[in-house]
Amino acid sequence: MKPLIAATPEEFREKRGIDARVLHEVLEVDLKARRVLVRRLDDSTEFREAFDCLVIATGAVPIVPNVPGADAGGIYNLSSLETGLTVRKAVDEEKPETAVIVGGGYIGLEMAEALVMRGLKVSLVERADQVMGTLDPDMGELVSRALIKIGVSLYRGESLTGFETDSGKVRAVVTDKRTIPADIVIMGLGVRPNSALAEKAGVPLGVRGSIKVNERMQTAVEAVWAAGDCVESFHHVSRRPVNIALGTHANKQGRVAGINIGGGYATFPGVVGTAASKICALEVARTGLQEREIKELGLEYVAGKIESSTRAWYYPNAGRITVKILAEKGCGRLLGGQIVGIEGAAKRIDVIAASLHAGFTVQDMINLDLSYAPPFSPVWDPVLIAARKALEMI
Amino acid sequence: MAKEKLVVIGGDAAGMSAASQARRLRADLAITAFEKSPHTSYAA
Repeated sequence: MKPLIAATPEEFREKRGIDARVLHEVLEVDLKARRVLVRRLDDSTEFREAFDCLVIATGAVPIVPNVPGADAGGIYNLSSLETGLTVRKAVDEEKPETAVIVGGGYIGLEMAEALVMRGLKVSLVERADQVMGTLDPDMGELVSRALIKIGVSLYRGESLTGFETDSGKVRAVVTDKRTIPADIVIMGLGVRPNSALAEKAGVPLGVRGSIKVNERMQTAVEAVWAAGDCVESFHHVSRRPVNIALGTHANKQGRVAGINIGGGYATFPGVVGTAASKICALEVARTGLQEREIKELGLEYVAGKIESSTRAWYYPNAGRITVKILAEKGCGRLLGGQIVGIEGAAKRIDVIAASLHAGFTVQDMINLDLSYAPPFSPVWDPVLIAARKALEMI
Repeated sequence: MAKEKLVVIGGDAAGMSAASQARRLRADLAITAFEKSPHTSYAA
């Protein structure tokens, strides 16, 4: 676990002069008196602490379904290092044989892999007709096939209706179509901004209940800043406010807030929705808008989808990569991209993400001078082959 | 006069990045970060 901790409270105190206090929960923010009410979780005592300047970085909380039995033992809402450790301990000590994962997003899929590797019989229930809802259905299908291939029993298009329990411990997951035995259950239904504290204090909220901030990470309240999963961001492609919970954004936004608080000048101009994941041998990545979002904006679009190779086809360990490029019909403006493939596939998404930031058309992308040597890619990089395919239809 | 005080709520990536950057630029600032879990800043 140690390697997972970027810096401990002791390191913050001794090396950076930051009084980092863990097991301290802020219960209330008083913006008028400019102080917070804090509870020490080890002895439940409370105290007030005055501030001149405040950063709200309260993150996100897992979405918990309101169904019977949801509070039973053996059901884990995965959201923090702490809950991850709890699950690992439960697998080590209680030796569960069957696991059911509810939710086919990043957390659900990564947990499916982890528990399959630990030898459990794993089932995954997803309400939608596809896993990985941030991909288009055709690309999600490739991920579903990979899950089934590693032995996961996949139930798509099924909704959780409750849990069967015995003496306060979960025994099965019940969906609208079946009952699946479960020694442990992992809930991965996504997260929502943890903005209750800010809202109660009177800090204005925006999309999905996230905290409204400007490019410098200032809230609407003087000397109150916010950063991370709890804030609203600007989406460069849709040009709309979004709330996307990702560690990359949190790090950058925190840095920007800190520079501005320190008297410097920095901005966080926005996001394009870039994310990557891995399910056993399969790498998955996406950026920009997916088909559903493009339709919601009322745009006409084309999809260039190709299969290619991660390296020159004759080179050792070359393997399949599928790339899909979405572009606006007529003008050819790049709107998004998705990649599924073996090792070497996912990080190619960054070329598409950078092109989105630049406001490129698919023709601009094709003009990019990208690296080539047989160990790394075919002469035409798969991303550029997909851009060519899209261009043909523009 | 008392030092100017920064309070950070949340000790993960965003909160601790903000605290660290503010410290780099302002040696005189008093900075306290409150985190309800037992850990700060993990590699998520």
